[in-house]
This record gives sequence, structure tokens and C-alpha cells, in this order.
Amino acid sequence: MVTPDPPGQNHLLAALAADDFSRLLPHLEGIELTTGQTVAEFGFRQDYVFFPTSSLIALLWRMEDGTHFQTGLVGNEGLAGIGLCLGEFGIPGRAVVQSAGYGYRLASTVLKTELDRRGQLQRLLLRFTQTLLMQMAQSAICREHHSTEQQLCRWLLLCLDGLPSHQLSLRQDSIADMPAWRRAGMTDAANQLQASQALQYRGGKITLDRPKLELRVCDCYQTGKGEFDGLLPRKQMTAPQTA
Amino acid sequence: MPSDPHITAHTIPGERQAVDRRAFITNKLLNALPRNNYRRMLTGLEPVNLAFGEVLYEPGDQISHVYFPGIALVSLMTLVDDRLTLEVGMVGCEGMVGLPVALGIGVSPFRALVQGAGTAMRMKSNWFVKELRRSTALQRALQRYTHTLMAQFAQTAACNRFHVVEERLARWLLMTRDRVQSTDFRLTQEFLSHMLGVRRVGVTKAAGHLQQRRLIEYSRGNIRIVDQPGLEAASCSCYRANRNSHIDPV
Repeated sequence: MVTPDPPGQNHLLAALAADDFSRLLPHLEGIELTTGQTVAEFGFRQDYVFFPTSSLIALLWRMEDGTHFQTGLVGNEGLAGIGLCLGEFGIPGRAVVQSAGYGYRLASTVLKTELDRRGQLQRLLLRFTQTLLMQMAQSAICREHHSTEQQLCRWLLLCLDGLPSHQLSLRQDSIADMPAWRRAGMTDAANQLQASQALQYRGGKITLDRPKLELRVCDCYQTGKGEFDGLLPRKQMTAPQTA
Repeated sequence: MPSDPHITAHTIPGERQAVDRRAFITNKLLNALPRNNYRRMLTGLEPVNLAFGEVLYEPGDQISHVYFPGIALVSLMTLVDDRLTLEVGMVGCEGMVGLPVALGIGVSPFRALVQGAGTAMRMKSNWFVKELRRSTALQRALQRYTHTLMAQFAQTAACNRFHVVEERLARWLLMTRDRVQSTDFRLTQEFLSHMLGVRRVGVTKAAGHLQQRRLIEYSRGNIRIVDQPGLEAASCSCYRANRNSHIDPV
């Protein structure tokens, strides 16, 4: 399928050297991702990893009682399916599309071959793994110490960072259904943000006002952003020239 | 194993005691390496004693050494607002402190705090990077360990969100027991409150309640687990889930 987004809209792919990129390019398959679609599930064979370009993928951890809890968010700075890079073990949980859009998928077999070259892609993916660990740790402490509104602002800003636009394709009720949060508290917080126009619902899409969100968010966001920016390529780039 | 290795809260942090170079330190990650890899690594490994309360790295610090705990136990803690802390992971004889180095990053995002005094092997980070390049077995072991740690982080985050302090305290005590392989340890309430990210009064209440149920004995900072199956029953499901997902590098 042809997508409107070039592969270079994913920052990991964009950061590859031209020869690495051109080796991968024939194997990158453009796809449309729809909200709620499961792209990886523990216990099932994982045939592909996903590089979002204009979609967001939530990483959900499966609890003992079968319910899911969000531990991470992957946008155009990363990839979903990192478990594959860490050997044969999956992480108990699933990866679900949170905000519809486009992305590229790569066959796991191709990725494994590429990782065995121990080149740039491996280095980038290991760094990305580190940012996921940091994201998890930071969410945990943020949840413990900051208000629901601050947490929601942080989460929305993370969404913005992972998307090329200021719009999220989310159903209006999906914020309250975020698996990590108490529904009532989150609805209140979302209403507060809407009242102050930091967030607007329009025709099934949520438009966000970054400066307003940044005013309300806790320090966790800037701290985390500073850390990630040091680790991951986040330049606004066009696709590298193929050879 | 020396007797009561964890009841050593009075060592001055930073003061390193000499350890016999021949000391046999059991770290499962190292032990699982092929013999020739392990031998080669040994030349760069230095046995050290880690003291309770010692900080191996603060967030933002360069990671000068990676540590392979033997009996020692190290908490990975995340900080907000420069004062509030929360433990997100725990590294004992199953793992390595300084994982970012293996992921190509020289700076620690966490505070690594010695929570159980004891022995460890350490290696200079640049030496370790060279070893890592040479040894596929070491790379595999660390990939698996990264995965384990990620599972632990996710579990901890979920647990902190959903479970009450008493269940979390029970889980934490059991995880500590598994890593130091002892049912006695020395811990202040303040320390526990930093670990669990809750106020001291919450820890006091939870510990008091576990004591009333005769699962632990707690006095002046000494904790003894007296009823292990009982404590397991009192902990949240996360403890069992985490133990199941834990992959021994065998």
C-alpha cells in the first residue's frame, strides 16, 4: 500500500545512513493503522515490527487478572515490537493502535538479519529500548506524585511529540478509558482542559494546544524530554536519499 | 556466604573494604557465560564490597563501572522534583547494574542505591563495552536481562497504580528476600517510604498490619519474614507474575 507519509517521517528510519536505509527500503511496507487495532500480542507469533509515521501505538502490560495497563507510547520517534530485538521472549502484553494514522511495517525476519549485522539500526534500537525503560519509570513516579490533570497533560504532550500534527484521532471517550487511569478522575481532568481550551474535541478528533498544556504539566515532561532528546534522533527530517 | 550479610547498615557509604581477589562471587548472569568468555572477563572484573546506602550513580552521572551483584542488592530509583523517589527496579545476583552501557548509553537515568550490603564484581565501562563487542553470549544474556528488567518496570508501575501499600510492601519484602536469599534484613521506615514512594505513616501502618498478622517481625529497623507462604498470600499478584516472568539466564 502507498501511504501519504515518507518512511523518513519515522525518526529512527530517518536517522539511518543512506546505505542502511536503502537496504531496508524494499522491505518496508506502508500501512494504515486504525484505532484499536492490535499490532503485537504476547503469546502469538510476531511477524512484523511497526514504525509509526503519523499514528500512535500504546504498549499495554497484561496484569494477572487479564486487564491491561498502559506502560508506554510509541509515535514517530520509535517502533513497536521491540521485544523481538531482545531475543525470543515477548513481553506479556500487547501493542494497540491508540491514534489512527500511517506507518511502515518490517518483517521480523528482516529485522533480525539487520540486527545481526550489529550496525546502526541495532544501536538505535538499543537506545530506543533505554528510552522505553525511562518512560515506564517516569510514568510510575509521575502517577504516584502528580495530579490527574498533570498526568493527562504529560500524556497528551507525549502524544504530540510522537505525531507530525497537533491532532489526535481519538474517540472522545477514549481518554477516560485509558487503561492506566481512574475513569472519573480522567473525565474531570479532560473537562478542565477543555474548559481552558488546552484541548478541543472536533469531529472525532482532538486538537491540542501545546503552550497551554505545557503551562499545566508537571516537571516530569520536560525532564523526560530532555533525556530522550539526548538519546534519540528527533530532528525534523526528510527521508534520506536512496543510493 | 557470610552470616547475615545484609545487616550491615553501619558501614560508612563510600568507604570500600578490600575484598579478596579470589572471593567467589556468584552472579547468575556471569555464571551463565561460556567458560572461556567468563575467564576472559575475569581479568577486567574487580570484586568489591558495596555498603548499605551507598549510591553507585545519581541520575545524569557517567557510568564509570558496571556492577554484577553477588550478595549485594541494588535499587534503581527514579526521582522527581529532586526529592521524591520511587523504586522502579531491583538488581541482585540475577543481573547487572549499569545496563544503559550495554544499550550504548554512558549516563545513568536512575539513582542506583545499595539496598542490601554485600559483594559484587565490577568492571570499567569501557572495558565492558569491549567485552560486549567480542562476546555474543554476553550480548544475548544482556538482551534477555534487559527484557527481564523491562518486565519488572512494567510490573512495578502497574502495581504501584493498582495495589494498596500493604500488598506492595509484602511484594517488596519478598523480592528482596529472593535476591539476597535471606529472610532477615535491616531497613528503616524512611528507606521503605522512599522505595515505595509513599509517606512514612503509610509504611508504618502497613508494616504494623503485616506484623499483627504474624507474617513479619519488625523492630528498630530489623525485618524478619516469619511466615513466607503467608506473606506471599498477602502480597499482590504482581509478585508471582514477576517471578514467573523472570528469566534465569541458564
